[in-house]
Formats: sequence, C-alpha cells, structure tokens
Amino acid sequence: MTHLTRRGVLGTGISGTAALLAAPALIRPAFAADTVKLGCLFSSSGTMANLEGRLNHVVRMAADAINGRGGVNGRQIEVLTSDPASDWPLYAQVGRQMLQQEKVAALFGCWTSVSRKSVLPVVEQNDGLLFYPLHFEGDENSKNVVYVNSPPASSVLPAVDYLMGPDGVGAKRFFMIGSDYVWPRTINKQLKGYWKSKGIPESAWREEYVPFGFSNFQTLVNQVRSFASQPGGQAIVVLTVVGSSIPDFLREFANQGISATDVPILGLDMVEADLEGLDTAKLVSHLNCWAYLQAAKGERNQKFLADWAAYVKAKNVPFSADTVIDPMVSAYDSVNLWALAAAKAGSFAVPEVRKAFAGLSFDDPSGYTLTMTGENNYVSRGVFIGSVNEKRGFDVLWQSPDAPKPVPFSPYG
Amino acid sequence: MADRLRALLALCCLALLTFPASAAPIDRAAFAAGLCGDGAAQVRAAEGLVQAGGDLAADDLAYAGGLLGALAERRLACPAEGALLLDRPGASDGRDAVSGAPRPAAEARAPVLGLRQRAAVETARGTVALLTGPDPAARSAGLAVLERRIATVPASVLDRARDAETDATLKATIAGLAQAAALSSPDPARRRAAIAAVAASPSGAAEARLAALKSDPAYASDPAFRAALDAGLAKVTRAVAIGDGLAVVYNGLSFASILFMAAAGLAIIFGLMGVINLAQGEFIMLGAYATYGVQEAFRRLAPGLLDLYLLAAIPVAFGAVALVGIGVEALILRHLYRRPLMSLLATWAVSLFLVNLVRVTVGTQNLQFVMPAYVSGGVPLYADFVMTWNRLFAIGFAAATLVLTLLILRRTPLGLDIRAVTQNRDMAACLGLPTRRVDRLAFGLGSGLAGLAGVALCPIYSVNPGMGSGFIVDSFMVVVLGGVGSLVGTLVAAVGVGGANVLIEPISGAVAAKVIVLVGIILFLQRRPEGLFAVRRRR
Repeated sequence: MTHLTRRGVLGTGISGTAALLAAPALIRPAFAADTVKLGCLFSSSGTMANLEGRLNHVVRMAADAINGRGGVNGRQIEVLTSDPASDWPLYAQVGRQMLQQEKVAALFGCWTSVSRKSVLPVVEQNDGLLFYPLHFEGDENSKNVVYVNSPPASSVLPAVDYLMGPDGVGAKRFFMIGSDYVWPRTINKQLKGYWKSKGIPESAWREEYVPFGFSNFQTLVNQVRSFASQPGGQAIVVLTVVGSSIPDFLREFANQGISATDVPILGLDMVEADLEGLDTAKLVSHLNCWAYLQAAKGERNQKFLADWAAYVKAKNVPFSADTVIDPMVSAYDSVNLWALAAAKAGSFAVPEVRKAFAGLSFDDPSGYTLTMTGENNYVSRGVFIGSVNEKRGFDVLWQSPDAPKPVPFSPYG
Repeated sequence: MADRLRALLALCCLALLTFPASAAPIDRAAFAAGLCGDGAAQVRAAEGLVQAGGDLAADDLAYAGGLLGALAERRLACPAEGALLLDRPGASDGRDAVSGAPRPAAEARAPVLGLRQRAAVETARGTVALLTGPDPAARSAGLAVLERRIATVPASVLDRARDAETDATLKATIAGLAQAAALSSPDPARRRAAIAAVAASPSGAAEARLAALKSDPAYASDPAFRAALDAGLAKVTRAVAIGDGLAVVYNGLSFASILFMAAAGLAIIFGLMGVINLAQGEFIMLGAYATYGVQEAFRRLAPGLLDLYLLAAIPVAFGAVALVGIGVEALILRHLYRRPLMSLLATWAVSLFLVNLVRVTVGTQNLQFVMPAYVSGGVPLYADFVMTWNRLFAIGFAAATLVLTLLILRRTPLGLDIRAVTQNRDMAACLGLPTRRVDRLAFGLGSGLAGLAGVALCPIYSVNPGMGSGFIVDSFMVVVLGGVGSLVGTLVAAVGVGGANVLIEPISGAVAAKVIVLVGIILFLQRRPEGLFAVRRRR
C-alpha cells in the first residue's frame, strides 16, 4: 500500500474533482420522428441554477405552444435540455455536442457573459445559432448569436440618465460594485466613458470588484456610507454583482440602516428571484432596469403570467408559479423569433433562417413589439425601470415610450 | 420674532403655491389632488406640508399623514377626479379621500413613488409623526426621519415639536437638532452653538457639513467662529476615525465568527479524526434547512412564539444534522477509515447527493425566513459605526459554540475518549475503548456543529441548496492553518484570516484581499506545515 500524506490526498482530490467536473454532461433527448431539435444551455446545478433553471422550462413551454399550433414548417419542435453545471467551459462542450451530434437547429442559452464568450467560438466554427436572452455589455456582434436582450445603450444608460435627471435623484457621484468578470468590468468601463463625456470628473466615482459568490459585504457597505457622506452631490450605487451576492449585499445594506432615499442602488442584474427570502420593506425604491418587468401592463403579459402558472402546475415545475423574470420572457421571445424566422425562410438551415431575421417582428408579453433589422442580430426592445416594493417585486417606475434601436458597439467604451 | 415672521411668510407663499383655492390652513382637496398629480406636484404637496407643518392644526396634520401613508403603501388610488383611500393595495373599492364616501376604485391608478417623491413623502410623514405621534417612540421615529434631511425642515416645525414635547430626553434631542439646524443663521453666537451641536453627534455627514463651512467668509474674518469650527471639526474627525476603527474590529470579528462556525465541525472531523469530509458544507446547509423546518412548525403550531424559532432551532439543527452525520459514518465512512482517498470521494458523493436531494424536495429558490427584531437591523453605536444584530448574533453564537465544544472535549468522558482515540487509536483500543463507537459519536459531534453553523448563518446569508459549497475551501484553510487537531488553533486561524481579509479589503479590494490572504497562508504553511498549533501525536 502506498503511503498517503494528508496534503497529497488533498491535491489528488482536487485534481480528481476537476476531472469529474469536466466529464461530459448528459444530454436528455426525447426521440421522435419528423421533428426539429432545439438545444438549451441552461444550468440546473451550481450557482446559476436558481436563475437559469427556469429558462429550460420556459423554452419547453414556448415550444409546446408552437407545437400545439402545428409546429414549424410541418415539423414538431423537440427541446433538448442539458446541465452545464454553472461551469463556464462546460457550456462550450455541451454546445458543441448539441450542434455536432444532435444537429440542433438553434441553441438557446447562457446567462453570464463569460459563458456566452465560451460558447461563441463553438457556434462560429459550426455555423450554429445561439439565442442569448440576457441584457449584457454589448461590444460584440457575431452573425451566429442573436442578442435577444438589450445592450447597455438601451437599458443601462437610460436608467443611469433617469437617476441623474430631475425625475430621479440628480445623481452626481457613483459607487460601482461588481463581481469580477467581463460583464461588470465592461459595463463600468462604458459608464465611466459616458460620465466623462458628460464632463463629470473622475473623482466622482469609485469602482470595487468582489469574487464570485462573495457575501461579506460589511466593509463595502461602510465604504458606500462614507463615500455618500462626502460632499459633491447625491451618490448612487451601480450594482453589478451576480448570483447570491445580490441578496447578501441588499441585506447588509438594509441592516446598516441605509435606505433608498439616502443612497439608491441601481441593481443591473437584480430580478424578482433575487428578492426571494429578503424582507424588502427596508429595500423599497431601489431600482433595476430590464426589457420586461412582471408588473408590465397589458393583456399579453396577463396571458403569459397565466400560461406560466398553468405550465408550472401541469408539469410540476420546481420553480415559483407567480414569479416571472425578464430572461424568462426573453427566452420565450427567442423561441418565437426563431420559429417566425424559420417559417418565413421555409427552412431550418442557419444561413436561411438568419436571412429571414430582417424585418421580423413579434408582440411579446412586455407590451412592446420586438423588431429585427438586416443590419445585425440585435433585437429592439423596450426599456423598463423597476422600483422594489414591499412584496418582493418591482413596480414599474418608468418605461420608454417605444423600443429604441439597439446600438451594438458603445461609443463610450 | 423674526423667525416667526419668516415662517409665516413662507407659509403664505407655499399656501399660495400649493393650496391656491383656499385661505384655510390646508385645502384637503388640493392636497389630495397634489398627491395624485405628477412627480413634481407630489413633491410640492409634501414639501408644502413640511414647510407649513409648524402652524397647521393637529387634525389637518393627521389627515395629511393618513394620505401620505396611503400613498407610500400604494393604498392611494387616483381616478380622473379626486383621490381614493383603499384598505389594501389593489382593492376594488375605497373611500373618497376628502368626503369619506365609498367609491369604486376601478380605472383608478395607484401612483408609484419615485426616489425624489419618496424622500419628500418620508420627510412629510416624519413631520406629521413628530408633531402628532401618540407616544415618544412614534415621535422619536419621526424625528429620526427628519434628521436625515434636516436641511429641508423649517425651524418652526422643530420649535413647535420641542415646545409640545412632554418626554424630557426627546425634548433635549429635538432642542439639540433645532440648534444644529441653525448652521447658516445670521447670529454668530447661534452659529457657534450650532457647530457645537453638530459636533456633538459626529458622523461622516456631520464632518462634510462642517468642512463645507471652511469656505464661509466668516471663517476668515471671525476668529471666534474659526476657533469653534476648527475645534468642532477636529472633534468630529477624531470620532469618525474611532468609529471606522470600531467598524473594522467588528467586521473582522464577525467574519472570523462565520469562519470559525463553518470550521469548528471540521476541526473535529478532519482535525481529530483525519477524515477529509467534503460534505461539511452540505451539513451546514442542512442545519439551515432544519432551522427553516422549525420556523414552519412554529408558524403552524405556535404563531405567537414565532420570534423564538431561531433559539428553538439550535437543538433541533444540532440533533438532526448529528443524526445525518452518524448515518453517513455508519453506512459509508466506517468502511473507509484506512483509505483516505476513498473517504474523500465518498464524502464528495454524499455532498452531491444531499444538494440534489434538497433541490428536488424543497426547490432551488432562496428560503424565506422571518427575521425577528433581535437579528434584523442594527444600532448606530458611535459615529458611523453601526452594530448589526445579525452579525452580533453570529459572534455570540460562535463564542458559545467554542466554549461548549471545549467543555465537551476537555471535561466530559466522551471528550476524553475522543482525544484518546485520536491520539493513538490502537493503544486506545487495547485499553478497551470502543473505538468504533467513539468515532461515530465524534463524527456526530462534528456534524452537529456544522448544523449549528447553519442556524447562525440563516440571518446573514441566503439559504439555498448550493450555499454549502462556498464554505468548504475556507473551512479547510482555517483548520489546516490552525493546526490539525487543535480547536484553539482553529479559533486563532479564523480570527487571523477574518481580520486580515477585513484589513486588506479597503486597501486593495476584495479580490486581491482573498489572493493575498491565500498566498500568505501558502507561505506560512511552507515554513510551518503543521500549522499554528501542532498537536503531538504518536503514529
């Protein structure tokens, strides 16, 4: 028997862990003839599970509805789900498997920008199509990715403008807190460029990053308090932390007695699901901005909410029946946009479908009409600014009169 | 006299602006219409009330307070004409805000307050509470709201509140605040008194207010003013620095207590028994879920005692997780004591199993906990230092756990057996100790401690199936650094790692702090592989 030291064992254990995590995830297909396959890249385990997990079910729900109307081009849609386990390189691996082995017509997936960046070369090499349902940092324009949600120019900047304007708080100073990866860093870079273009001096902002999954926010909240008490005008927090860091930050903020009327937080990745488990009475009026809010007015939204509740009940989905977040609606839009394009093209071949995007429009639950042009694969969406209420939801504080034309590359970065 | 005149003048102007139709102290219909208007009208109505507050009749104030409260809680519905008060948000019927007659609320919109409007409405509600609150607690809550935006509150409101106040302490507080509000008074003596009053309750905001006065012309021309300001500023600056120092100590202690709670169970399982238990984080998660179970049981069976569920959860979480630990030991680990690599893989499998079991049975969402008053919010202790109750709960909890665990290990027969078996298993067996049983109990104790950590973490972290994975690396780090087998070493290491993190974080950011601490630990272990406190043992 070989002699094992404890540290040796620990080392072996860690490499063993890595090897096991890298093993291919099982793709769960349901075989049937005369179908067209769509693939999902959303994690049902790991840090993103609570958020991404819902999107698998929404894609299925949208596909079921289309199948009920007779499918696309005479074929029924078959949805393949997978579990990339919140492990960014695994998204690329599962994506490749879906494109090469399963021959899916389109992929729907990714939440974090780092996972999208890892899938990007795969869809480009295989000439696949990835529908990406999150608002993101922009500065990317691949013919193989459909950017269903908004780049900063049509989500973050309107919200920051609102806060800086007379309707907001006339914000003059900015404390940026983000998780340490590509999305927060790019967003903050663009924001700094934007403020510079407005003649705001560099001393008016601060930028801090925390590791993924960070939860000990005491020191940062202390820093926010002392930053806000310095002279120079109203301060706000631009929060780009993701995952469980969001509720942990909000809890510490409220416990230290700072309210939204003292220092408002603009939570760029904050959705209804992040408020689950929090006492939001002390968090009222903090803001977020998305292309859809559950409180959006209109019959289309009422129907979507009812459909989701019915689907959760019928299929016993392990997520809340009465919480709907923007990426869910965007995933639903994605499937519908793909089906419309495929029907218009009369084909499932990616180049044909891509050509059909030009001039496509879809009335989605947000109340806006989504449109696409031939210039790029961006989708034009409306803008909502939401305000946290006591019931762990968001009220619509402001919404854009129409859907602004998306600008892929920021002039401020 | 001059102040009274100015207040009256301000009241007249604002009355003209806000309540154009009537000469009465408050035009109720116009006030209601203002609150139902656009953002600017809402701000005007609320600010007008604050400005006029010092001279309004009590029933007018109470009426305005009711409307403002309804607006903040979205119980104010705005049809095309007038305004409606609803019993609850979204109700279909309400009462007219002016006449009180029942009216249907269909087609009425419930305005959402923007940030500027909310601030104005909060200040107006604070004014009403300060002037008409039934008891000192309500009035001092109102005063606390006004204190946040003292610059917008007219002297007449504070004067009236001070004159009417019956509670001596509150009266003194209001007087101090009224004094501090006179920073820009034309009377030099009152100004100096205001500086002293501001300096008496130091904070970062007070420092900024005083520092701004340095550019005042009086600072150069009036030596008495200059001296008063310099003295006040020095006092505030010192107090803020002390407050910041206290905050660093508190943050370090609280982080250390979390690290210690997470690592205490591992100190026994890994430190004393040598089992690399990768499921330790999931045991913490199970403790938190057990706490949730206790909360739900209280909600069903004894809703009146709901606030005590956290305390009741302590024995339940310990017992439940200890049982799970004993089960794992009996079914899996006892076959693997001589094969550490196998036990590592087996416990990893256990951790995956537990995570997915919880995910399938309870769901992936963050659990909803009722936070009793003793673990929510905080109390401002000194300058900007706020002591948050949830962190204090964790610190106290960690201290109690430490004492109890040390007592068990040092003063009970079980502790003696555990120490004997871990020091020399074969010799202990020769002396007739049932080593297998001792192993099982020790593993149960270690798991139970992880369960306790779960209870302590409920008020601080989000509770979901994946919460345990974040603790495992930190716990091993602390146990190895402290010296395998030494609970005191674990404590010292937790305090060291927590303190170092909190000290480095403001200088170089949270990401670099983590890296620097890890590098420090690696270098330390290079020099001293046995950790801080090594326990001698025979092999």
